[in-house]
Amino acid sequence: MSLLQLDQATIKFGGLIAVNSVSFELKKGDLFGLIGPNGAGKTTCFNLITGVYKPTSGKITFDGKEIGGTPANKIANLGIARTFQNIRLFKSLSVLENVVVGGFLRHKTPLLSALAYMPNVIKETESLKAEALELLKIVNLDKVADVRSADLSYGMQRRLEIARAMATQPKLLLLDEPAAGMNPQEKEELNAMVKHIRDEVGLTVLLIEHDMRFVMSLCERIVVLDAGKEIAAGPPDAIRSDPKVIAAYLGEAV
Amino acid sequence: MKFWGVRLASILGAVAFCFLLEAVAQGQSSFVQRLFVLAGLYVTLAVSLNLINGITGQFSIGHAAFYQVGAYTAGFCASRFFAQMNLPPAAWLLLMMVTSAITAGLAGLLVGLPSLRLKGDYLAIVTLGFGEIIRIFAQNQEALGGAYGLTVAPKIQYVWAAWLLAILCIAVCRNLLRSAHGLPFLAVREDEIASSAMGVNVTQTKVVAFVLGSMFAGAAGAILAHFESFVSPPMFTMDVSFTIVTMVVLGGTGSITGSVLAAILLFYLPEKMRDFTNIPLAGVAAAFVAISAAVFAIRWVMQNFHGSTKDRAIRYLGILVGAVVIWFLSKALLGNVPSLKENIDGSKLRMVVFSVTLVVLMLLRPQGMLGHHEFSWDWVRSKFGKPTVKEATA
Repeated sequence: MSLLQLDQATIKFGGLIAVNSVSFELKKGDLFGLIGPNGAGKTTCFNLITGVYKPTSGKITFDGKEIGGTPANKIANLGIARTFQNIRLFKSLSVLENVVVGGFLRHKTPLLSALAYMPNVIKETESLKAEALELLKIVNLDKVADVRSADLSYGMQRRLEIARAMATQPKLLLLDEPAAGMNPQEKEELNAMVKHIRDEVGLTVLLIEHDMRFVMSLCERIVVLDAGKEIAAGPPDAIRSDPKVIAAYLGEAV
Repeated sequence: MKFWGVRLASILGAVAFCFLLEAVAQGQSSFVQRLFVLAGLYVTLAVSLNLINGITGQFSIGHAAFYQVGAYTAGFCASRFFAQMNLPPAAWLLLMMVTSAITAGLAGLLVGLPSLRLKGDYLAIVTLGFGEIIRIFAQNQEALGGAYGLTVAPKIQYVWAAWLLAILCIAVCRNLLRSAHGLPFLAVREDEIASSAMGVNVTQTKVVAFVLGSMFAGAAGAILAHFESFVSPPMFTMDVSFTIVTMVVLGGTGSITGSVLAAILLFYLPEKMRDFTNIPLAGVAAAFVAISAAVFAIRWVMQNFHGSTKDRAIRYLGILVGAVVIWFLSKALLGNVPSLKENIDGSKLRMVVFSVTLVVLMLLRPQGMLGHHEFSWDWVRSKFGKPTVKEATA
């Protein structure tokens, strides 16, 4: 059954067609890659899926529901979580607090009892913190739970973003260049972590990445965008040898 | 059961504190009583604005408007309904606090809904404009007394009411920050796009903060109206809004403790200055020279020296001694300048001291007195080298 389906999704900014009739489909449990040169519209695609932008035309269906143009916070509630290309953590909050914000959308107690700090709120806060700490263990950040998130190293900040997104308990996780700025060893760890998230936690993952070795070794299916258009789709091996992809993105073998 | 015991004890503690203040104030002159009440009101105003400006990060500079809406609501109701309702003054005051909180909250909702789509400077301009609109509206309404203002019939001068409101406001803000419910507010301050991607309804969060902050300002207005037994438009000019913003910024945006301390300090300092008379002008001028020199020296040490605490303390002590020497020297020098041979009163210097304090603080500690920090017993314990409660129980 398809979890996410883009059908001729298009967005125009004035005269610029940033995403031009892109269609692809993610099945539950997929590990899906979205690649392409800079300015190809990959992040714009993410922004369409997560409700930052409303598509000019075309349909985006998630879990059987049309979600094009739904506000971002509602989309998060439906079960799509994302990370950002330029890290967007809540800088002055602690690592743990960042993750609790992600889990907060499942809160049940009303604001009024929080203002009075009633026992049910205390309990809920405790349980949200405990859940957050469990997630921090997955991304190996539990030791720095009380550190201000802005003080973390770059690779740790990327991992924290993933933990924060996972705290919303999504069905679909969108990772926007998760390996950017990481050294080879960190990339190895990230690779294992994303696999773990898919296999053990059971999430569907859609990721944008420039590091070809990383994408090819991780993703089972890949869509290639260039100048807003979809130029190829298929398993890594097919993509690697596709002449259009080589011309647009990978470059000729020397 | 333990929870309710602690809760009851803290409520009783707060009430006892308020009545202790009342008892202390009773023996004093009416001027001192006034200071007590106004200090309580300013604490409420600063802490409630901190919820909007500091915690949620929406820069509002029209807080006096909500204060005014509250004060006028109380004034308006008192002249029409107090005589009929036959309530004891304390009950009436509490009723008015609730009523004013509701009207001010509605005003907050009215401004908040359209304007909270704006950010930063634009929101500041809208809130500033709203403050002026409310004041000028009241000035031109005959039903609200016009430029003359309204006389508020029962004069109710309870110190406890002002401080009970202040404590309630502090408690509400602190409760919010202690529970997970406070995190979306902080998240909106930090990054709106990321917050909405995490499922936070950004607009709703901002409006809630705005309404909640306005409600406390409105309740404070009700106390003011009955305390002064009079409300008029000049009591709610832009200066009042700016003073409250200054308190929040000086205390450290986002820190409740900071807002409380800064509110008391900035309210008390200008009042205290009235006591000083016949200050030689040369001494004041020399103080400027000494303070400037000290500020630059401290900044130099902060930027260029990263030694141990003891070494730094020695340098700061040196700067202090140097500043005093500079003060004496420049006082002797400036004493010869004919135009500086006069004496002036402290009351004329109040605003100068106010602004100098701010400039010095902004140069030396731009994040405000407490930054994002809060007072806690753990912090006090850590200063004495003891483990925090969490560490001790772990």
